[in-house]
Amino acid sequence: MSDETILGLPARPTALAALAVLVVAPFVLPTFQTYVLSEVLVLALFATGFNLLYGYTGLLSFGHAMFFGGAGYALGIFLRDVAPSLPFGGATPLVAFAIAAVLGVLVATAIAIPVGYLSVRLEEIYFAMLTLSFSMALYTLVNQNYFGVTNGSDGILVLLQTSNLFGFQLSLYDRVTYYFVILLVVAPAMYILWRVSNSPFGLVSEAIRENSERASGLGIDVRRHQWGAFVLSAVFTGIAGVLVAPLHSSLSPGASLHWTISAEPVIMTVFGGPYSFIGPTVGALFYRYIRWGITQFPLLEAHWQLVFGTLILVIVVFAPRGVSGLLKWAVDRVRGNGGESA
Amino acid sequence: MALPIQEVLTGLSLGSRYFLVAIGLSLIFGVLGVLNFAHGALYMIGAYVSLTVAQNVTGSFWVGLVAAGLAVGLLGAIIEMGLIRRVYDRDELDQLILTFALVLVITDLTRTVWGSGNQTMATPELLASNVHFLGTSYPAYRLFVIVVGFAAMGVFWYAIQRTYLGRLVRATSSDRDMAALLGVNVPRLYTGVFFVGSFLAGIGGALAAPMQAFTPALGDQVIINAFVIVVIGGLGSFTGAFVGAMFIGLLQSFGVLIATGVGQLLPFLAMILVLVFRPEGLFGGEGQ
Repeated sequence: MSDETILGLPARPTALAALAVLVVAPFVLPTFQTYVLSEVLVLALFATGFNLLYGYTGLLSFGHAMFFGGAGYALGIFLRDVAPSLPFGGATPLVAFAIAAVLGVLVATAIAIPVGYLSVRLEEIYFAMLTLSFSMALYTLVNQNYFGVTNGSDGILVLLQTSNLFGFQLSLYDRVTYYFVILLVVAPAMYILWRVSNSPFGLVSEAIRENSERASGLGIDVRRHQWGAFVLSAVFTGIAGVLVAPLHSSLSPGASLHWTISAEPVIMTVFGGPYSFIGPTVGALFYRYIRWGITQFPLLEAHWQLVFGTLILVIVVFAPRGVSGLLKWAVDRVRGNGGESA
Repeated sequence: MALPIQEVLTGLSLGSRYFLVAIGLSLIFGVLGVLNFAHGALYMIGAYVSLTVAQNVTGSFWVGLVAAGLAVGLLGAIIEMGLIRRVYDRDELDQLILTFALVLVITDLTRTVWGSGNQTMATPELLASNVHFLGTSYPAYRLFVIVVGFAAMGVFWYAIQRTYLGRLVRATSSDRDMAALLGVNVPRLYTGVFFVGSFLAGIGGALAAPMQAFTPALGDQVIINAFVIVVIGGLGSFTGAFVGAMFIGLLQSFGVLIATGVGQLLPFLAMILVLVFRPEGLFGGEGQ
C-alpha cells in the first residue's frame, strides 16, 4: 500500500499522465461528458477521503453523507442568504463561492469533531451503526427544517453567478469552467491525501487496522489517532461536498444527507478495492460510468439498484480486492511479474 | 390532565413492531456475528406479502400474516445458504456491505413486483372496532399488535432459556467451534436462526401493513430505528432489544406532544446518551 505504485505502475509518471489527460479532456469531450467527468472527480475525492478511514484505519463509516451534505448545505445557505450582501463589487460571486466553500468545509469539520469523538469509542459494526445514526439524526433535523434555513424536504437551490473581474466575465456555472474549478481543488486534495496515506500517520492507521491492540502496545493512542483520521476524512469529504452542490445546483435531504448517499463511497470503494490508495478512484470511475452506461438502456435504468446490488454482491463474494485488485493483477500478468497478488 | 393512556398504547404498539425487527437483528448478530442490513427490507417484504395474500388471494388477514412470516423466513434462509454463508470467514464489514447490496436488490425487486406507489391495507374485521376502557377508547388492532409483541418476547425468552434448541443456540453463539465439536450442526443452526429472525421481521411487516400507507421505502425507516434500539439495548441482548424497542416506541409517541419532529429526533439523542455513558448498551456487556 505504501509502495510508490498505482495499479503496479510507477506512481509519479502515472499520476502526471492522468492529470494531463484530465486537463485536455474537457476540450475534447462533449459538454455532458465533461459534466460526468466533473462528477467522477468529486466522487473520487469523496471515496478516497472515506477510504482514509475505512481502508487505512479499518473503520467503516456509514454516515459520511453528514459531512458531504452538511458541507454542501452550509455552502448553499451562505450563497443564498449572505453572498448577495457582500461588498466585493464584480468579484462578489467568486469571493462568495470561496468563502462559502471554506465555511462548508469548516462545518463538516465542526460536525466531525464531536461525532468522531463519540464514534471511535466503538468498533467495527458498532462504529458503522453509530455513524449511520448520527447522519440520520442530521437528515431528520434538516428534513424537518429544524434550523429554519434548510427549507425542509424540498431542499435549496445552489446557483453560482457570473463574476465581473475588471471587465472579464467569469461564469463559474459554465460546465467547462466549473470542471476546472473542481480539478484545481481535487488534484491537490488527492495529492495531500496521497502524502497523508504514505506518511507515518498513514502507517500508524494501517497498524491500527491490522491489530489495534498491538498498535496500542507500541504506545499509539489508538482512539486519539482514529479520531484524527475521522476528522481528516470528514474534511476531505466536506471538500467534495462543497464542490458537488453547485455542480448539481440543488440540495435536498434525500439527495444529499440520506444514508443512501453515505453508501455511495462504500460502493465505490468496494468496486475499486479498499486496500490501495487508488482503489476508490478506480471505483468512482466505474461507479459513475456504469451509471452512465445504465442510463443508455431504459430497462436497466429503471432497475439500476438491482444492477448495482448484484454487482456489489458479485464483487464482495468473488473479488474482495475489487476492480483495482483485478486490474493490478492484469498489469502484473502483462509485465510478467506473476499474478498471485490479486 | 388525564393519564396519557393513548400515548402509552401508541408507543407500545410502535415498540412491538420495532421489537419484531430488532429481535431478529439482535439474534442473527448474536449467533452468526452478521449485522443484517437487509432486515428492514425483509420487514418490508412481509408487509407486501401479507397485502397480496390477504387482499388478492385469500381475503383473510390471518392467512396473510402467517404467509408473510413463512415467506420472509424462507427468503432469509435462502439468503443465508446462498450468500451469507460464503462470507462467514471474512471481515464483518464485508458482510455488512453484502447485506447492504441485498437491500438494493430486494427493494428494486419489490418495486418491480408491487410498484413504487403507496399501498394501503384494510384492518381485519375482527379488530376493526375501538375498545373502550379506563375512560378512553383505542383501536383494537393496535392492542392486538401490542399483545403479539409481548407474546413474541415471552415465547422467545422461553425458547432461548428453557428449551434444548435454545441451549444449542446459546452454546453456538458463545463458542461456534466448541459447539461444532460437540456435534451441533452449526450450518443448519445458522440457517434456522436466519429463518426465525426473518420470520419475525415478516410478521412485523405484516402487522404494520394495516397501520400505515407504505412504499418499498418502508424498510429504510425501520432498520434505522432497529439499529438505534439494539445500540441502546445492547447488540445481541434479547432483553435489551425488547426494552429498547418499547423505550423508542414510547419516546416517539410522547415526543410528538412536545413538537412535530421531536419524536424522530429523541431516539438519536437517547442513543448518544447511552453511548457516552454505557457504550456496550443497557443490557449488553458480558463480552460480545
